[in-house]
Amino acid sequence: MPADRPVLLRLASASRTFQMGEVAVVALRNVTLDIYEGEFLVMVGPSGSGKTTLLNLVGGMDQPTEGSVWYRDIDLATLSTRALTRYRRETIGFVFQFYNLIPNLTARENITVATEISQDPLDPDEALRLVGLEPRRDHFPAQLSGGEQQRVSIARAVAKNPELLLCDEPTGALDFSTGKQLLWLLLQMKNRLGKTIIVITHNVAIGEVADRVVRLRSGEIAETHVNEKPRSPEEISW
Amino acid sequence: MRTLDRKLRREFRSAFGRLLAVTSIIAVGVACYVEMESCYTNLVDAKQRYYTRCRMADFSLEVKKLPVSELSLLSRFPEVLELRPRIQFFATVDLERAPRLLNGQVLSLPDRPEPTINDIVLKRGSYFTDTRDNEVIVNDGFAKQHGLSPGQWIHLILNNRRQELFIVGTAISSEFVYLVGPGAITPDPQHFGVFYLKHRYAEEVFNFEGACNQVLGRLTPAAKRHPEDLLRQMEVILEPFGVFSSTPLKDQPSNRYISDEMDGLATFGKIMPGIFLSVAALVLNILMARWTDQQRTIVGTLKALGYGDGQVLGHFLKFGLTVGFLGGAIGCFLGFLLARWVTGIYGTFYEFPDLRNRVYADLWLIGLAISLLCAILGTLYGAYGVLRLRPAEAMRTRAPRRGGAIVLEKVTFFWRRLGFSWRLVLRDVWRQPVRTGAGLFASAMGASILLTGFTMHEAIFHLIDFQFRKVQAADLELSFKDERGIEALDEAKNLPGVDHAEPFLSVACTFHFGPYRRKGSITGIRPDARLTTPRDRDGNRLRIPDAGLVMSRKLAELLHVSVGDVLTVEPTKGLKLPRRVPLASIADGYLGMSVYADIHYLNWLVGEEFAVSGVQLALDKDARNLRRLHGELKELPGVQAISARADAIKNLEDTVIKTQKTFIGLLIVFAGVIFFGSVLNSSLIGLAERQAEVATLRVLGYGPWEVGGIFLRESMTVNLAGTLLGIPLGYRLCHWLADAHDTELFRIPVVYAPWVIATTLVLSVVFGLLAHAFVQRGIHKMDWLEALKVRE
Ligand SMILES: Nc1ncnc2c1ncn2[C@@H]1O[C@H](COP(=O)(O)OP(=O)(O)OP(=O)(O)O)[C@@H](O)[C@H]1O
Ligand SMILES: [Mg+2]
Repeated sequence: MPADRPVLLRLASASRTFQMGEVAVVALRNVTLDIYEGEFLVMVGPSGSGKTTLLNLVGGMDQPTEGSVWYRDIDLATLSTRALTRYRRETIGFVFQFYNLIPNLTARENITVATEISQDPLDPDEALRLVGLEPRRDHFPAQLSGGEQQRVSIARAVAKNPELLLCDEPTGALDFSTGKQLLWLLLQMKNRLGKTIIVITHNVAIGEVADRVVRLRSGEIAETHVNEKPRSPEEISW
Repeated sequence: MRTLDRKLRREFRSAFGRLLAVTSIIAVGVACYVEMESCYTNLVDAKQRYYTRCRMADFSLEVKKLPVSELSLLSRFPEVLELRPRIQFFATVDLERAPRLLNGQVLSLPDRPEPTINDIVLKRGSYFTDTRDNEVIVNDGFAKQHGLSPGQWIHLILNNRRQELFIVGTAISSEFVYLVGPGAITPDPQHFGVFYLKHRYAEEVFNFEGACNQVLGRLTPAAKRHPEDLLRQMEVILEPFGVFSSTPLKDQPSNRYISDEMDGLATFGKIMPGIFLSVAALVLNILMARWTDQQRTIVGTLKALGYGDGQVLGHFLKFGLTVGFLGGAIGCFLGFLLARWVTGIYGTFYEFPDLRNRVYADLWLIGLAISLLCAILGTLYGAYGVLRLRPAEAMRTRAPRRGGAIVLEKVTFFWRRLGFSWRLVLRDVWRQPVRTGAGLFASAMGASILLTGFTMHEAIFHLIDFQFRKVQAADLELSFKDERGIEALDEAKNLPGVDHAEPFLSVACTFHFGPYRRKGSITGIRPDARLTTPRDRDGNRLRIPDAGLVMSRKLAELLHVSVGDVLTVEPTKGLKLPRRVPLASIADGYLGMSVYADIHYLNWLVGEEFAVSGVQLALDKDARNLRRLHGELKELPGVQAISARADAIKNLEDTVIKTQKTFIGLLIVFAGVIFFGSVLNSSLIGLAERQAEVATLRVLGYGPWEVGGIFLRESMTVNLAGTLLGIPLGYRLCHWLADAHDTELFRIPVVYAPWVIATTLVLSVVFGLLAHAFVQRGIHKMDWLEALKVRE
């Protein structure tokens, strides 16, 4: 791994426990992980292993119950609500596992709702074009298929033009060729614009284009695999 | 935020029904508030202006005969600003066109227009001229009723002589805002008029040269507030001239009526809007809480995208404030219209020169502020629950609502009998305690308002029946100008059409008991009287004791006497010897504060042989006889007033009952809005929340009517339960209002009538069904395939 690059994010013995009445669910246990600037990191692991939880911590959506999450020299665990909001607004682009489109906004409006508060956003129409949905810009989520909704969600994250792009199962509902197009898009973001990208996926093929693959199991890092030679999207199949 | 505003606009459109329901409840609450406060202020202002304009007297003293020169005895008091001697008498009016003698009150006025106490406001014609002495100004209501205009002649029986008078003008006066004849409770311009004569002319016809029998006066503001002691001192000073009574403004009949009405309005004006606004606040709360809760994942998403709590809250507030503003604004406007209408109704029995409805900016602002406040509180309450969540938490799809068995399921024998849909209904009702509670509250309030309206209506019929058929059964009552002997009874018996006649003696007096003191009068009747029968609460006849008084409950309460106590009675006329008299029993009645005694005993009390002040007659039903009777009465000397029961009842029906019907109609509409709004609101919320459930049921093969049935059962269960709770609450409210309206002149009974409860229940169901029609339409229109597809 290019250790010469500066560390963008650092989880230091971060844990996240959910208290559900009597029982405590440990979603993340003592995770320590560095993520570098401009890295394409893939996270895999069985369902319930804590992937989304980790992504939430990194994205300022949640805070660890123990340990710290550093973004550059800021400890996210100690930030105020207001500062966390700013962090999300200025630094993060999120592609949600369940798309989370706002039902009574059109595809385009679901993007503008994000770009309106961003500092240096892309043109929403451009973002839609990137995911191939320009003709559907005025459709409401209920009028889009699952995969199309997912692509709007991706366009929304990309349109914010964030430093850090966090994708939770971005290809779950996509077919082979659209999935590939998406990978293209993500690689462009990384290579041309120098974004850092974290992708959660069950899809092993995506791991082949990543710089590094981290495998979670029961809230712990079970294995880290560095791709010396990431492949290009054309070379893979799923 | 532009995109979010667009979202808001679409939300308004899709939640239109719910918003309409809530907005109309708020609007009705605010309207009710603005209406009642406006009416109250309209009346207060009009009264204030009128009293100032006419220089309304702060007190009056009634004397037998007082030389005007002796007024200086009173003007010596530093509290007295101004005095006026006046001559006043009751008179009868003989109009050719009218079949019977009419009653009138004659008052003297300065010969020339000058600022004077209890002045008049001319409506038509002019003030007195110098052309003739026998000029008269007639009160406008009477003139209108009988088609009298300036330039016509009219006949009054003044001091037992028929006098011809020339009408110069018609007028109204602040003394007679509510113009009722003696003993009446509703204005009766058909049978009672006021006639103003030149003072000099009155002196002449009544043999009152240089004298008066009434003194009107105005006091310093400080003395105005507590004139009682001052008046008592004046009474003592005027003792040698035969003082009958002193009346502070507070007890002046017309003033008393409107003050009582305004007090009632003030109470009513707090209770009713209070009910509506509390329902509105609660329903709005539920709406906002539910709405924000539904937006949970959206809030999470927005926060994840980088929206701050303040921005999201602002978004919610825009929604709430729009609802609040709309409700408030519509309410203010509606309240204004209602106030104009109701003020108009007041104008039909209160005579003011300028009773107008105006825009009260402060009321509108308060109304708007209340509405906005409800909305803001509702929004904050709802938003808090969602905003305090971290975005990660908010975005997780909501854990399914609390499942598991509800308490009712433990009652297995009952539960097992229920069908599937009833189980669904009961579980849902049980698991949404706040929403169910709000629904119960709204229905209970709606029901209690309906019940109150109907009960008040029933009360008036009961009152008429009790007062005019049971207690006072005489068809006609004649009062004589001067007391007469027993021969008057025989005369009366021989009048045409008279089946039965009974004498009565009325003695004005002051009652004393310990520190308590009240003016009033005692009516002496025969123990076997059939035409006046005092009764107890249950309508049973009370025996007239050989010695002692039968007193109306209200007066007994005011004097703090109970049966067996001995009180002091001091007649205001005659020898005025104080007598100690036992209280024999308490009578119930809804009008005035009557006291009864055996006529022989009363005569003995005042030291008379056998005097009667009038007779009561029962008539046969022959119309020809009645005409002959009235013809003869016109010729009979010494009759001061005639009152016919039929007129009194008809008047009550024409005024009180007619206006009551209007008010009840209004209450029904208001209560309907509450029922309708609350059912609609909670059902539509339920529908919005349970889209997935509805969709699943549809997929399973349930038709829209079957699904609607589940919702109907749910809303009806809550609605009817609330209505049942509302019935006792309504009776509580009735008692409360009856207590607030419990005045010396008028009391409203609380009557339990089965039709009232039945109608309340039926209307509750009707309003509920009406609201459900909208829900059913929503179910029919719902695109359940889409509902299945979108993940929030
Ligand atoms: N808010 C929460 N309250 C309670 N438990 C939670 C909460 N969020 C996550 N968990 C639990 O933490 C564990 C990890 O959840 P997480 O969502 O991170 O899994 P995941 O790896 O993303 O799974 P999947 O691949 O199914 O999305 C799970 O057992 C989950 O039930
Ligand atoms: Mg996940």
